[in-house]
Amino acid sequence: MKFVRYHSTLFFYDGPQVIEARDNIGGHYIGLLVDDGGELPGFVFVGTPPERLRDFRLGSVDLRTLLVEHSAEGWFFSSGEATPETRWILVPQSIALTETRWLPEPGFVLHDSPAEEESLRESRARNNLVLEVAVEPPEAATEHRIRIGTLAGLLMHLQTMFKHAYGAALRELSIDARKQLDRTDAHLMDVIIPAAPGSFRVVLEAAKRPDMLGQSELTRALQLIDEMFEKTADPAATLALMRQRKGHLAGAYLRMLRFLAAHRSGLRYAWAEPNFPTAHRRTLAEREAQPLIDALSGVANLGTETIILEGALDKADRKNGSWRLLTNDGTESGDTKSDGPSLESLRIGGNYRFICQEEIIEAEGSGRETRKLWLIEHQQI
Amino acid sequence: MPVNCNPPVNYREALPEGYPASESADTSAGLVAFRLVTSLPPTVGDFDSQRRLHPGRHFRGISECQACGVSVFTKVEDCRMAGKLPALRGKQVCRVRLMAGAGRIQQTGKPSHHTWWPLADFDILGQCEQEAA
Repeated sequence: MKFVRYHSTLFFYDGPQVIEARDNIGGHYIGLLVDDGGELPGFVFVGTPPERLRDFRLGSVDLRTLLVEHSAEGWFFSSGEATPETRWILVPQSIALTETRWLPEPGFVLHDSPAEEESLRESRARNNLVLEVAVEPPEAATEHRIRIGTLAGLLMHLQTMFKHAYGAALRELSIDARKQLDRTDAHLMDVIIPAAPGSFRVVLEAAKRPDMLGQSELTRALQLIDEMFEKTADPAATLALMRQRKGHLAGAYLRMLRFLAAHRSGLRYAWAEPNFPTAHRRTLAEREAQPLIDALSGVANLGTETIILEGALDKADRKNGSWRLLTNDGTESGDTKSDGPSLESLRIGGNYRFICQEEIIEAEGSGRETRKLWLIEHQQI
Repeated sequence: MPVNCNPPVNYREALPEGYPASESADTSAGLVAFRLVTSLPPTVGDFDSQRRLHPGRHFRGISECQACGVSVFTKVEDCRMAGKLPALRGKQVCRVRLMAGAGRIQQTGKPSHHTWWPLADFDILGQCEQEAA
């Protein structure tokens, strides 16, 4: 018995109409909704070579052609909701697909105009959000090379910015909206082309597949990052924006700028989702990094955020000023500053609200972060 | 700040608390949308969401709010393209004028594909007309 699992949605209208599926050995299938009237939707499945499926995703072959080409080797019918958990048991069909009423009309393509830009083309080909980043450190000036530390640091800084940008974007949503999202690993990106030709370029894609509508959660993060790279030639405008965005995202941005300045490199990027008409592009010239650093470094606590913790006090070291609180989300620990509140009056086991400054500290030049909590106020609850 | 668009506004179908999300837009500015309908003139059933049509189904991979909205296109060519698919074959393209009081709309997926959450009091059929072939 053969079965396939849902992989992604290629066309959505009142539900997934055209989907991609994979069998247990990684074989590629195209699935087409043919019957939505019953208890469960019915799909036709046809196995296709990955390169032809890629052609379809790019819009260079129509769905009917793809199905007719490959259904001669066999095609299947199965019922089941198009969900990431579904396992469709494939039932082989004996008549030719061309003799049924289940073929689409000629001319159904996913994109009616070709993608001119590489990031958009790659995004369509992969049916996922794709980001292309180019840097120009001195070692890449004459040949296609980059220092290990520069590449590793660049990737770490990028991932850190995505993480904080995603967190900042989520905070703009209502609590109810946040609850509806599956945020697991939504900020992660994977490297798919580690050294693309041209100036030193790296191509990444969202680690998590887009939703059934073809949208990636990472879009929220990249839209915020676009804002930050919008006016790199204008430090005052960027500073004004960063004052609004004060917090870990601003801190991550500043650390990225310092990294680029230290490695004497500018940065260019382009990103796209499959359905974008064009890619989003931003550029930071090498000469722009230092004036931005100067402007942003003048703001105290640019990269800190205030967080509130509630729970039982587990430890209070009055001599060293360190503390530990048992909250519903786990154990949190931190310190007090010399001019901060005292731990003198606190009782072990008592329930407290701790208002803290959360600071992200980067291990020098690596992009790796450690988190530090400073108690700025406590209240008994 | 996020806008809680649900209460006290009544949508045609019950939506989860806090939805449609703040990313959606009010239709006050006016726009024309296209939807595939079973026949022309359409019936109100042509504007039922997947959640209303299939109350027992699991819509994992999209939010419950999306399942409670209806698909429309803002480009007629995209709507005609959808009509080539077997599950939608034979449906007709209907033009719907959306204006103040029509509800909220959000671009979802393909640039022209939008999810529309109509308000309960909006006279959908009064704003529909046949799209010329």
